Amino acid sequence: MQKSDLENANPTILNVSQLPSREQKRAIARHGPDSSYDHLLFSRESSSDTPSVSENDGRFEHVFDDALDQQEIYDLISTVSDPEHPHTLGELNVVRLPDIHLTPPQRDPRGLATVLVELTPTINHCSLATVIGLAVRFRLEQALPPNYRIDVRMKEGTHAQDEQVNKQLADKERVAAALENDSLQSVVNTMLKTCIV
Amino acid sequence: MANFKDWALQYVLSDEEPAQREIAAKAAKEIESSGASRTVVGNWAASVQPWMTRAQSDHDDQMDDGEDGGGGDIIARAKALGFLAGTLETLDRKLLKTDQVVFLVGFFGAMFSYDHKAGITASAKALRQLYAMKGFKPDMGVKMIEDVSKLKEDFRLQTASTRLGIYELFLGLIQDPAVSSELQHKYGSSCGFTVDLLQLCQNERDPRNLMLWFKIIAVLLADYSTSTEVTEEIFKAVSAYFPISLRSSATPIGITAKDLKGAVRACFSAHQRLSTLTFPFLMQKLDQGDAVTVAVKVDILKTTKACIEQYENPQTSVVPHIEKIWNSLKYEVRNGEVKETIEATLEVLQAIANKLDGFKTQKLDVSLLKSYVDLVFKDCRDDLANPTYTKQAGLLLMTVITSNVRAYMLESASFVGCIRQNFRQPKSPSHTRDLVLILNSFLKARLELVRNRSQGHPEDEKQLKTEPRVHLDALFHDVYLGIWTAKANEPNSENIEILKQVTQGLALLANQQVVQQDGSSSLLCSGKICSEICTLLTQCLVKGLTLSSNDNTANDATFEEEALLALRSLVMVYTPAYEEFVRRATTEIRSRDWENASSYSLDALKSVVSRLAFVGCSQIPSRVASDTTSSKSLSPLQHFITLTTAVLEIFPLSAPGPGTKALANSYAIAGIHAALLFFRDACTAKYQPEAVVSYSKSDKNWIEEFGQLPDDWLQKLQVSGDETLGALNEDDPEVYRQFLRLSLYVVRHLYRTASSGTQSIWTGRILGQLADIAALVIRNLGEQLQISCNLAHEAFNFFAGPQTQPSKHISTEPFIELLTRGVLEGLWPGAMVNLYNPGGIAEKFLCNTDGLEPFLGLQSDIRASIGSILANKYKGGPSTSDPESQTVKRVLGFWGEQINKATTSDGTDPKIFQALNNIAMHIVAGAAARQDKAVIDLIPVFQAAIGSEHANSETVARSLGTLVKDSEVLKTDNHAVIRRFNKQWAYSHLAKPLYPLASPSADGASAAMRYRTAILSIVSNCPFNVYEADVEPLVRLLITTLTDRSGLSQRVPSQRLVSALEILVEILSNEPDALKGHLKAIISGGMKIYEECLPENQDEVKTGGKAAPRRNLVMARKLVLQVLGAVPKKFEERYLLPYSLQLQRMLGLSCGDPVREVRQIARFARGNWLKVV
Repeated sequence: MQKSDLENANPTILNVSQLPSREQKRAIARHGPDSSYDHLLFSRESSSDTPSVSENDGRFEHVFDDALDQQEIYDLISTVSDPEHPHTLGELNVVRLPDIHLTPPQRDPRGLATVLVELTPTINHCSLATVIGLAVRFRLEQALPPNYRIDVRMKEGTHAQDEQVNKQLADKERVAAALENDSLQSVVNTMLKTCIV
Repeated sequence: MANFKDWALQYVLSDEEPAQREIAAKAAKEIESSGASRTVVGNWAASVQPWMTRAQSDHDDQMDDGEDGGGGDIIARAKALGFLAGTLETLDRKLLKTDQVVFLVGFFGAMFSYDHKAGITASAKALRQLYAMKGFKPDMGVKMIEDVSKLKEDFRLQTASTRLGIYELFLGLIQDPAVSSELQHKYGSSCGFTVDLLQLCQNERDPRNLMLWFKIIAVLLADYSTSTEVTEEIFKAVSAYFPISLRSSATPIGITAKDLKGAVRACFSAHQRLSTLTFPFLMQKLDQGDAVTVAVKVDILKTTKACIEQYENPQTSVVPHIEKIWNSLKYEVRNGEVKETIEATLEVLQAIANKLDGFKTQKLDVSLLKSYVDLVFKDCRDDLANPTYTKQAGLLLMTVITSNVRAYMLESASFVGCIRQNFRQPKSPSHTRDLVLILNSFLKARLELVRNRSQGHPEDEKQLKTEPRVHLDALFHDVYLGIWTAKANEPNSENIEILKQVTQGLALLANQQVVQQDGSSSLLCSGKICSEICTLLTQCLVKGLTLSSNDNTANDATFEEEALLALRSLVMVYTPAYEEFVRRATTEIRSRDWENASSYSLDALKSVVSRLAFVGCSQIPSRVASDTTSSKSLSPLQHFITLTTAVLEIFPLSAPGPGTKALANSYAIAGIHAALLFFRDACTAKYQPEAVVSYSKSDKNWIEEFGQLPDDWLQKLQVSGDETLGALNEDDPEVYRQFLRLSLYVVRHLYRTASSGTQSIWTGRILGQLADIAALVIRNLGEQLQISCNLAHEAFNFFAGPQTQPSKHISTEPFIELLTRGVLEGLWPGAMVNLYNPGGIAEKFLCNTDGLEPFLGLQSDIRASIGSILANKYKGGPSTSDPESQTVKRVLGFWGEQINKATTSDGTDPKIFQALNNIAMHIVAGAAARQDKAVIDLIPVFQAAIGSEHANSETVARSLGTLVKDSEVLKTDNHAVIRRFNKQWAYSHLAKPLYPLASPSADGASAAMRYRTAILSIVSNCPFNVYEADVEPLVRLLITTLTDRSGLSQRVPSQRLVSALEILVEILSNEPDALKGHLKAIISGGMKIYEECLPENQDEVKTGGKAAPRRNLVMARKLVLQVLGAVPKKFEERYLLPYSLQLQRMLGLSCGDPVREVRQIARFARGNWLKVV
C-alpha cells in the first residue's frame, strides 16, 4: 500500500515502554551496577528460616492465584497488529486499558462474565474500524474460556458511524459469516501474527 | 632439434596441464644438460617455428580481413609459445647467457606488437621468467615496459589472469632499483613511460588486477619524481576510480571493497606532490552535499585524513589547504546527523592539529598550530551561545583543542572561559545540558592528555608542568556546584538529565591530575573540594535512609546509579572520601530503629549496604598524591578494611526475639559478603585469572599468625595502617593474596563470634550467610594453603584456637552446623584427607543420628548437605589417613542398615525416618557423584526397602531421585568431585534393575507402584540422553502412572504425577515417536488429570484427609497442558483428529484456569489444536 493511500498516514505512536504492563505495577526491582550479586546476598528467604521439605524444591514459588483481569485482556489484544501500519493496536492507542470493562469484577471462575472492549480508532472515519473490531473479537474468542461473553464496540463519539459498526460487530451471524470470507480471514490472521500467547 | 620439435608438437597436442608441465620440464632438462649451448637454445626456440610462420601469414590475413584470424591456429600458436614459456619456468635461472636473454626478451617483446591474440599470455609469463634470470640486465627491463606498452588498446581484451601477470611484471620492474634508475636515466624526471602505462591500463576493472595497478601507481608516485604534468595524468587516472565500490559477487575473490578503498587511498596519500590535486578534489566531492552517500563521505574523510597524515613537509603540503578543508568540514559536524560522518570529520580535524604540532622527535613552529586553532575557535565561539549549535560547536572546539598538549596549552583557558561565560546566561535547560556535556568531554580528554604525557615529545610534559590552573580550579564552585544546587531542588526529568551529566562531570573533575615540577602527578582538586563532591554524592546515595518513605519520592534510579559510579571513581583516587561515605552511611544506619524495621527501611538498608561494597571494593584504588596529610600509608586494601571494620562495628543492628527473621542483621553481614565478591572480581579483572590463581597459593599457616594478632587488629589496621599492606602497589597481584589473608581473618573472626555468641542474633539465616562467606573465601585458597592453615580441622572447631577439642561445639545453637558446611564447601578434597581416619571426625559425623530435634526438617537438611560434601570429597587409599579405604564404605553400610531396619521392623517414627532418610540419600548422592563402588552394595538394600510393605518404604522410593539430582553444595567451583558420567552410572545401577519390578503385571500392585515412584523420581532428575535407551519400558510406566492413580495417599501420587509429566515433556521433545501408540492414553489421561487437579475438584482426589500440596497441583496442570499442547506439533493430523473436538473444548475451559501462567500455556495449546482440522 502506498503511503498516500493510508487512511491516516501519520498516527500518534506510543513507545512500547509507555504501554501499561503488569511489571509497572510491581515494586521496582534494584538494577544498578551494585545489584549484580543481589541473588547471592539477599535471596535466602527460603533457606534456613523456613522449613524446607526436600521434595518441594521451590519451583512455582512465584505462582499465586491471579484471576483474569483487565490487564490480561489488554495484553491479549494490544499486540494485535494494525491492518495498515506496522504497529500494534496498543502502540496506536486504539486499545486502551481503561476502556476494557469486566463484569462482574469479582468472578467465580466458572460463572458467566462479560468483557466489554471499547476501541478508539485513530481517525473518526476509519473504514478499517470493523476489521479491527473483528480481529479483536476473534482474538478474544480464541483466548478466553467459553463462559466469557465478548462485546467489542467503538468508543462513543470516536467514530462517525459507530452505531453501524457496533451493530455489525455485535451481530454473531455477521461475524461468523465475515470469518468465512477467505480474504477477510487472511487479513485477520495477518493482524494476529504478532500476538504472543 | 628433432627432440624439441617433437616435444613442441606433443605440448601443442596435449590438453592436460600436468602432461604439458612434464614436456616443458624435459625440454628444460635438455637445455640444462647442454649447458645452454647456442645450438640447443636455437633449436629449442626454433621448435615453434611451424606455428609462428603461420602466425605471420595470419597476421597478414588479419591485415586484410580485419578481425577474422584462423581460430584453430591461434590456439595452437598460443600453446606453442606456452611451451617456450613453460620451459623457461622450469629452467635454471642462472643458465642463460645475457645475449640469449636479450634475444628472448626481444622475441617475446615483439609478440606484444604482432600477436595480440595468441602471444600475450605466454609472452607475459616468459618475460616474468626472463626478468628473474641471472642474465637479466636493467636496460632489458626498460625494453620490456616499452614493448608491453605497445599492446595499447588490446590490453583490455586480454584475459584478467594475463593482465594480472603483466601487472606483476610491471610492479617487479618498477620496484627494482636498477631498472628504476635505468628508467629515470632514460626518461629523465618527466617519467614519460608512465603515460604509456596509464594509457595501457586505464580501463582496468578486475578487482584483483586493480589492487596491483594501484600499488604500481603508488610506487610510481612515491619513488619516481614525476613531473607536474605526469603527476596530473596519474592523478587523473586514479581519481577516476574514486570513490570505489565493489559489486557483490557469488564467487568471492578474497578482495573486499575495503581493500580497494585502502589501495586507492594509498595512491592519494603516496606523495605530497599530489597535495594541490587531492585536497581540492576531495573537498569538491564532499561539498556536493546530499548527493554523496554516508559511505562515500566517510571514504572521502578517511582519505583526507590519510593524506594529511602521510604527506611530508606540512608547511607546503597541508597548510595552504587548511582553510578550505576546515570550511568544508565544519558543516559536517555543525549540521551533520550521522554519527559515522561526524566521527570521521573530527578525526580529520584532529589529524590536522597533530600534523601541525610536529613529530614525536621534532616539533614544528607553534605559529602553524596557533593559526589553525584560532581559525577553529573564531568560527565556533559564537555558536556556543546558540543552543541549536552548542553541542556541535563544542565538539569541534574540544576535539581540536585536546588533540595534543600544545593545542591544549594554547586555548584551553579561553575555551573554558567561553563555556563558563555561556553558563552564566543559559538559553534553555538543554543549552545547560549541552554545555555540561562539552565540559565533561573536555575534562575527559584532558585526563587522557595528562595520562599519556610521557608517550609524546619531552616538551609536552614540560609544558604541562607550567599549566595555569586557575580556570580549572574554579570549575567546581563556578559551574558544577551552581548547577547542582539549582537543579537538585526541582527534580523533574529534564533536570535529572542535567544532574546526571553534572554527576559525571564531578567524577571527571575529581579525577583530574596536575603534573608537578618533579614529574609526579597530584590531584587537581584540593581535599576540600573532593570532600564537598563526596558530600554531594553521598547525600544522594544514602537518601533512602535519611528520608522516610513518604519524603523519598521515587526519583529516576539512573541518577543514583550515576552518582554511585561517580563516587566510586572519586574514592579510587581520593581515598578519604570513602571513609566519609562509610561514616555517613553507618551513622544513618545506626540512627534507625531496626527492631521492627519496615520493608522500606530494609530495602533502603539493602541498597546502602551494597552501594558501600560497590563503591569501595569493585575497583582497586590507585595511589595518587593528594594534598591531604595522612600519617597512615594508603593501601589498595584500605577501603575493604574500612568497610569490614564498619560493618563489624554496627553489627548486630538488632537483637531479635526468637522466631523473627532478623533481616537487618543479615543485610549488614551481606555488606561484607558483597565486598568480598566485588573485590575478588576486581582482582580477577585487574590481574588476569592466571595471576590470581598463582597468588592464592602459599604454605604459610595464616590461622596461627592470626592467633598472635591482637583482637582489635582490624580496627588498628583501619586507623593506623600496616607496613606490609601500605607498601603494596596496586599493580602487584600480591594484593590478591593479602586480600585472601584479610578475608580469612574476617571469616575467622565471624566464626569465633558466632560460635560463642547468643542464639538470638546468630539465627539460621545469618549463620547460612556466614557459611556462604566462608565457602567463598576458602574455595579461593590453594590446596597447599588450605592444608597449611589446617582448615579441615577448623570446619568442626570454628577457629576456636588450639586448646579447644574439635567437635565440641561451644554454642548450643541448633544451626551451628551450618558453619561446618561453609568451611567444608570450599575445601579441596586433598585438604580434607585427615578427617577420614577410621573412627575419626568425619565418620562420627556421617553416622550421627542424634540431635535432630527440635528442628527436624532443617537440621536434617543441614546434616544432609554436610554429609553430601564429606562423602563426595573423600579420598582414601595408601598414604592417606584411611589406608584401607573403608571409611565411606562403613558409613554407607551404616545407613543401609538404618534404612533396612526402618522398613522392616516397626518402631521408627515416619517423621524421624524421613529426616534420617534425607541425610542418608544425600550422603549416598555425594558418593555417587564420584562413582564410589560402595554405592553399588547399597542397591539390594534400596530394592528390598522399596519392596517392603512398610509405611516407610514409600519415603525411600520417593527420595531415590536425590541420588542424581543436581545439588547446590556439590559444584565443581567448590572443588567437588563430579565424574562426567555419574548420572548414567547411577541410572544404570539404580533405576534399570527396577523396571521388571515396576511393571503393572509384577507381583504386588502396591510394591510395583512404589518401584514406579522410585524410577520416575530418578528419571525426572536425569537428562534425556541418560534414559534414552529405555524409553519404551519407561513410556509404559508413564502411561500406567497417568491412568492408574488409585491407592496411596494423595500427596504421593501428585508428586509422582509431576515427575511422570516432566518426563513426558522431555520424551515428547526428544523422541515423540515412542509415544505414537499411546496417544489415546496420554490425551484422555491428561484431560482427566487436569480436571482432577483443579482446586474446585480437590475434594474428589483427596484421600486420607490430606490435600495435595498446592504447588504440585498447579505444576501438574501446567505440565499436562504443556504435554497436550506439544502433541499437535509432533504428530500428523490423522493421529490427532479423533481427539480434536473434545480437546478444544477442554482447552477452551482451561483458558480460564485460576493461575495466569497456566492460562498462558492453555492458550498456546489451544492455538496448536485449532490448527488441527
